[in-house]
Amino acid sequence: MGYKGKACDKPAPDFSSKLKALDAQAELIVAKYDQKSAATLTLLHLAQDACGYVTPEIEQWVARWADVTPVHVHGVVTFYSMYHQAPVGRHHIRFCTTTSCVLNGSEDLLGHVKKKLGIQNGGVTPDGKYSLEESECLCACDQAPVMQVGDDYHSQLTAKKIDRILDGLK
Amino acid sequence: MSEAILSRNFNIPDAHKLSVAEPRGAYETARKVIGALKPEEVTNTVLASNLRGLGGAGFPTGKKWQFIPKDSKKPVYLVINADEGEPGTCKDRYILEKDPHQLIEGILISAYAIGSHKAYIYIRGEYVLPYRNLQSAVDEAYAKGYLGKSVFGSGYAMDLVVHRGAGAYICGEETSLLNSLEGKRGYPRLKPPFPAIVGLFGCPTIINNVETIACVPHILKNGAAWFTALGSPGNGGTHLFSVSGHVEKPGVYELPMGVPLRDLIYKYAGGVKGGRALKAVIPGGMSAKILKADEIDVKMDYDGLKAAGTMLGSAGVMVMDETVCMVKMLYYATKFFSHESCGQCSPCREGTGWAHKLVTRIYRGEGSVKDLDTLLTIARNMEGRTICVFADAAAWPIQSYITKFRAEFEDYIVSGRGKAVAAELEAAGAHAH
Ligand SMILES: Cc1cc2nc3c(=O)[nH]c(=O)nc-3n(C[C@H](O)[C@H](O)[C@H](O)COP(=O)(O)O)c2cc1C
Ligand code: FES
Repeated sequence: MGYKGKACDKPAPDFSSKLKALDAQAELIVAKYDQKSAATLTLLHLAQDACGYVTPEIEQWVARWADVTPVHVHGVVTFYSMYHQAPVGRHHIRFCTTTSCVLNGSEDLLGHVKKKLGIQNGGVTPDGKYSLEESECLCACDQAPVMQVGDDYHSQLTAKKIDRILDGLK
Repeated sequence: MSEAILSRNFNIPDAHKLSVAEPRGAYETARKVIGALKPEEVTNTVLASNLRGLGGAGFPTGKKWQFIPKDSKKPVYLVINADEGEPGTCKDRYILEKDPHQLIEGILISAYAIGSHKAYIYIRGEYVLPYRNLQSAVDEAYAKGYLGKSVFGSGYAMDLVVHRGAGAYICGEETSLLNSLEGKRGYPRLKPPFPAIVGLFGCPTIINNVETIACVPHILKNGAAWFTALGSPGNGGTHLFSVSGHVEKPGVYELPMGVPLRDLIYKYAGGVKGGRALKAVIPGGMSAKILKADEIDVKMDYDGLKAAGTMLGSAGVMVMDETVCMVKMLYYATKFFSHESCGQCSPCREGTGWAHKLVTRIYRGEGSVKDLDTLLTIARNMEGRTICVFADAAAWPIQSYITKFRAEFEDYIVSGRGKAVAAELEAAGAHAH
């Protein structure tokens, strides 16, 4: 199931106040669905966007709102590649490693990114700025090679363009 | 290029906004249909148009809609599959990002036809910009009363929720999608019961692809005969063909169903990059069997590609020139499927993993010719033995690449050149794991 960050070995920070601030939004989200449990994925997105990754505390918060067990939420978290169980970089890179991108030279470009950042698949730079995930097709194949940084797609990549994009981030 | 229908707004700046889309005709047809036509009339028009599901399976859309039980006591749901994930496919993204009102209008008409008052759009999690444009279009439609308690003041109530996925290719499979939408792991369900009887939350549900639903307003506007005439026999309309890989002009091309594959590559996509010779084409996304250069005189529709032993699938066309190494291509195909198997059924979980291990061994120069036969056996044992057809789809590249390019595979193994390839990849630090 795609890239899964390892579960975090450090003690998880206390996200209780961040989660409290999300309660109002959570209530609106749950109300949109015909069954509360259906809000599980959406609530996880909401909490992860605010906290950076998913901790047991977050799983419990989601479980309360979605009226499911924390074990159920954990099973969901481990199934989907977009949920992180450990901190990722401020700029998380999904680098497409599927056919159309490979045909357009993504192997060398991926090597370039790894050398530049000094990390492998699943790695985070020591300063916490970047993390790298080798992803499957991002479905922008007509614009290959493609990577996603944070929310944004970047296409028709070259080594120069990658440098410009990554160096330009704060 | 033929008349742009689905793609007519793709190059219009800000067409995702109602202020631009509406003067260009958005919601005109839905307004005329809802409340004025009988739901059966809408379904019959769609049936007569020969519209076939554009998510990959090509099932006649009107026929699917007729499976919804009449007078269902339970609510009926319409679910839009916007989980686009099939490698080589990038068509739905354009509709979602550039022209979401076209989709919403299609949802209104389609929901009305099946008697649904609530629809969900399941959009892949990585599609953030398309999600934002879509969600703001939904908000605009609510604000105008095009969604909500009384659509266009007709008294017909319609709610629409956009739901984001979270990164799992399997969730494009319709029953996996339903589980995911219900907040679970995306494991496919056994069929029957089919979703039209027992779908979302146990209720009758129609699942259609984004592009399929985007066709509906045009069919209702211009008539079934018009739509039928656009396409080829039994395959109505135009289709958004995604063309990528080694072509001069990769892109998404809206062309009539049945367009010759050769024209798609040479006439529309500008031919093979750098004037090089063609080696192979995957015509319908990663799951479709590969075609050799001398097999491209086929019509790009469901029937044409089936006759050629492959499938139209999602119409994701990936073009490979003469420089391409088929061992490497199979390595990336098996990587994809082993990565994305949901793990529910053993033949798929074990088969995709084992196949990828063997292909990796070959790719790195450590394989034997015997491995090729083992791979074919693994592929055979994956077909038709699992809950969904993911495992079949995983078997097809293995079978077609090895059978059609057997001499190349054997030569690669015997020559031992994989060792050099492995060393090169190691040096570049590039190997994808
Ligand atoms: C493994 C797998 C992945 C699929 N992925 C998608 C997808 O990303 N988008 C899609 O519309 N259909 C996908 N499908 C097809 C759906 O199961 C279903 O047939 C389709 O959404 C029905 O809509 P349609 O009749 O309008 O095509 C996939 C099927 C399988 C087996
Ligand atoms: S193969 Fe990279 S975006 Fe599709």
